[in-house]
Amino acid sequence: MSGGTRLENANPVIFQRSGQRLHTATEEDEDVHDPIDDREIFDILSINDPEHPLSLEELNVVEQIRVKVNDEESTVGVEFTPTIPHCSMATLIGLSIKVKLLRSLPERFKIDVHITPGSHASEEAVNKQLADKERVAAALENSSLLEVVNQCLSTRTI
Amino acid sequence: MLSLVEEYVSGLQDSKAKDTAKGVKDGEFTVLQLVEALGLSLTSSQPHTRARGVQLLSEVLQECYGGLTEREVEVLIAFYENRLKDHYVITPPVLQGLRALTKCTALPPGSAVSMLRSLFQDVHVQVRLAFVKQNCVFLCDSFTELKGLGADFVFGFVQSMDGERDPRNLLLAFQIAKSIVHRGYDLGKFTEELFEVTSCYFPIDFSPPPNDPHGITREELILTLRDVLAGTPQFAEFLLPLIIEKLDSDVQSAKLDSLQTLTACVSQYEHKDLAEFLEGLWASLRREVFQTSSEKIESAGLAALTALTSCLSRSVLNSDSEDSLCIFLDLVLKDCKHHLCEPDLKLVWPSAKLLQAACSASNRASHIIVTAVVPSIIEQYNNRTQMNASVMCWFCFWFCFFSGSVGFSVEEVVLTCSSLQRIAEQVQDTEETGRCFHDIIIPRLLSLALQSVSLICFSQNIVRAFFMRFVWFPFWVFHVSRLAEKTASRAVSLFLDGDVSFLPDNSFPSDIQLLKQKGDSWSQSQMVCLLMGCVCSLPRSVEVPQMDQLLLQLEELSCTCSHPPSYTSAAKCFAGLVNKRAPGQFVCTLLLVFRVYSVLDSESSSVRTQAFTLMIWVRVMLHVVYIVFHCVSLKLFSLLDDADLGPMAADGFSLLMSDSSDVLNRSCHADVRIMYRQRFFSENSAKLVQGFNAAPQEKKPNYLKALSNIVNKLPKQVQVTELPALLSLLLEALSCPDQGVQLSTLSCLEPVLIDPPAALIQQLEALVNRLLALTSSRAMNVRIVSLRCIHAVSRFPVLPFRARVLRALARPLDDKKRLVRDEAVQARSEWFLLGSPGGS
Repeated sequence: MSGGTRLENANPVIFQRSGQRLHTATEEDEDVHDPIDDREIFDILSINDPEHPLSLEELNVVEQIRVKVNDEESTVGVEFTPTIPHCSMATLIGLSIKVKLLRSLPERFKIDVHITPGSHASEEAVNKQLADKERVAAALENSSLLEVVNQCLSTRTI
Repeated sequence: MLSLVEEYVSGLQDSKAKDTAKGVKDGEFTVLQLVEALGLSLTSSQPHTRARGVQLLSEVLQECYGGLTEREVEVLIAFYENRLKDHYVITPPVLQGLRALTKCTALPPGSAVSMLRSLFQDVHVQVRLAFVKQNCVFLCDSFTELKGLGADFVFGFVQSMDGERDPRNLLLAFQIAKSIVHRGYDLGKFTEELFEVTSCYFPIDFSPPPNDPHGITREELILTLRDVLAGTPQFAEFLLPLIIEKLDSDVQSAKLDSLQTLTACVSQYEHKDLAEFLEGLWASLRREVFQTSSEKIESAGLAALTALTSCLSRSVLNSDSEDSLCIFLDLVLKDCKHHLCEPDLKLVWPSAKLLQAACSASNRASHIIVTAVVPSIIEQYNNRTQMNASVMCWFCFWFCFFSGSVGFSVEEVVLTCSSLQRIAEQVQDTEETGRCFHDIIIPRLLSLALQSVSLICFSQNIVRAFFMRFVWFPFWVFHVSRLAEKTASRAVSLFLDGDVSFLPDNSFPSDIQLLKQKGDSWSQSQMVCLLMGCVCSLPRSVEVPQMDQLLLQLEELSCTCSHPPSYTSAAKCFAGLVNKRAPGQFVCTLLLVFRVYSVLDSESSSVRTQAFTLMIWVRVMLHVVYIVFHCVSLKLFSLLDDADLGPMAADGFSLLMSDSSDVLNRSCHADVRIMYRQRFFSENSAKLVQGFNAAPQEKKPNYLKALSNIVNKLPKQVQVTELPALLSLLLEALSCPDQGVQLSTLSCLEPVLIDPPAALIQQLEALVNRLLALTSSRAMNVRIVSLRCIHAVSRFPVLPFRARVLRALARPLDDKKRLVRDEAVQARSEWFLLGSPGGS
């Protein structure tokens, strides 16, 4: 994606990745129901940054604290924080998050992805786009956009 | 008669004495008449005449003492005692006569006392001792009367002993003193004198001259003197300082004697006797062990410490008295404990020995020391990564304490066992450590195990914990050959003959039969897993004694016992032993196998499971002997159809193909042929397929399970090459309702999917369908592995199925288990990227 043009944020601050989630005994127990929790959603969001060979987590774009899920009510909300206030990748990043969640969660979930308030210049516009189902579907028909999104979501090792 | 007397006394004709005696015996005249007749000579003014007269009388008495009445004896004794006051030249015949009189049975009571009194009062010292020497036995017996003499007697005795140098006299003197002391005689104010006059000879420094006709040895003198000195607590206040002083000497024999005397004396003492000397004694003992140059002295010192501690442990405490055992052990611990934590200095081992000596004295002492020392040892152990011999030795003696005490908890058992196991695995295999294990730890282990099964004071939990741990004990680690051989033969004699002589404790029931099951009780038979440890891991060069007998009993136990761990261990032990035999002896084994078959073939037998287990284990061991191998595997195949044993037979294949970590592996010197698994597989896979096709529906799962068990254990390359032939069978297995079959099939498919053979590609649709069906299995594991397989399959040309799979995978996204959901998310994400721009 970054073909020759200047990078938006050339020297991002890098945050440490959190470690693997440890299994508990109840998770091994066949009869116990494990509800979907914030950590689980956060683990799903292991998405690559479009510009750098880093993950969103490492750039602190997504943080576990900003993930809220309610399994019973089938809602999930993710706030993400672009690295700089005029980041033009914000929409792309938001779209990747939304797509990943659409692909990874049961259909019953209502997914809300928005920018952390006060962290971006055009957050209202971006949020509106992300909340609009038809616009999202249309975006994914665009094959070059889809390509970029898929690259972000691919599991190549970083 | 008078003429006889005259001839003897004046005529100096000795022979007349005999005639006189004869006369008395014949009853011609009595002794008293003789005395009257002697009246003239006895009252003569010449001492020699008087002596002569007395001598005649004495000689007659020597012959005739048996016929004397009590009245006569009494008179004669009075007479003789009186004569003691006479001229010294008369004393020898007087003594001779008294000696004769002491042999009379008709001796009146009190006469011994009066004799001795006059003896001590009137007779010249040196002569007295000679007399006493001759009549020692009599005197000792009559000492019960002598208590009436009191301190006078002691004084007299002390005087008589003073300055004596002749070893014969000394020996006798010591024997008498010992008698005095041992009979609890009140020594009164002469205690110290008596002590002085005997202890001045301590320690004995005597070298018998060559060709000594009397044959008195130094040891005799040492031991007799020791009996005197150590004989009564009344000597304690004098003896203990003397011992401390003599321990300071440079002479080895003096030190040794002192230590041994100390050990002997404390067995009589109580804590109050020792109280003021504890520090001094400890300082000396410690010095002797820390700076020892001789093994004898060291062991004498340790023995003394044990005796001392034991004495202190015996004391009964009053409410206001101090606990001298605690005080003493505080001293000991203060000096020894910190050395244990500095394992590079050379005082570790002596400190350990001292602590061990103190511990072995009593349960109380053991408890105090163990609680003080063990926590720091464990901490030390955990901090060190390098195991060396000294650390091993700590654990050696810790294990000794542990096994010596009763009433430990389950946690302690587990902790000990796991620590011991870790040490065994890490320590260097040297002669010293090997000896430590074989001579100390293994007997104690067996002893502990035996106690725990035969004594009721151990709870079931402890027993179980203990055995679970020790089944895996790495017995094979310590194989200095002759030590291993010794242990093996001891173990065999314990198990076959109930011989407990090499075990440190002796509180076992007498009829131990460890290879037989008693009624419903399996507690003793489970000991067989320890036998397995002892003998199955021996190198081939070491011969196991009584092998045939052992095999016979093991076979019986494994076929008849009803307790699964016991009969399985017995089977493993049997197999391990058989495996070590020369291949040429397989005939016996073949016979065994047929015996087992006959049991298996009789449907009504109650021990088919046991027989089956034995067969499997023997089979596992006998890869070397092909004929048996072949027979047994045939049998196994035939059993797949069996109603009861079918599932077990299927599982049996898993056992056949895997390494058993406790008996059949290289470290146990077992005979393992390479590539046996491939060979087995290539020879039998066709048969399996055939059998499967022919089997009725309800038996098919057995075949599938057997197949997946076999394939699972093959090396990866083999799996990949062999798989095409079995593919349809494996796919069939995927739709088998048995979850075990599903799981094992999936797990052996999974690695194959990384690099799939062409045959698999042709069957993709079937595969995908089956896998999708399994994602809704009731078992979590099956769901997980099938999702992983679907993930893996995404790399194949599966685009046509994409839509269907994506739809199907939506369901597991909402699975109730998180682990399943994780796999589903990953699989579905991967499938989304298939054929999509930007997808990998």
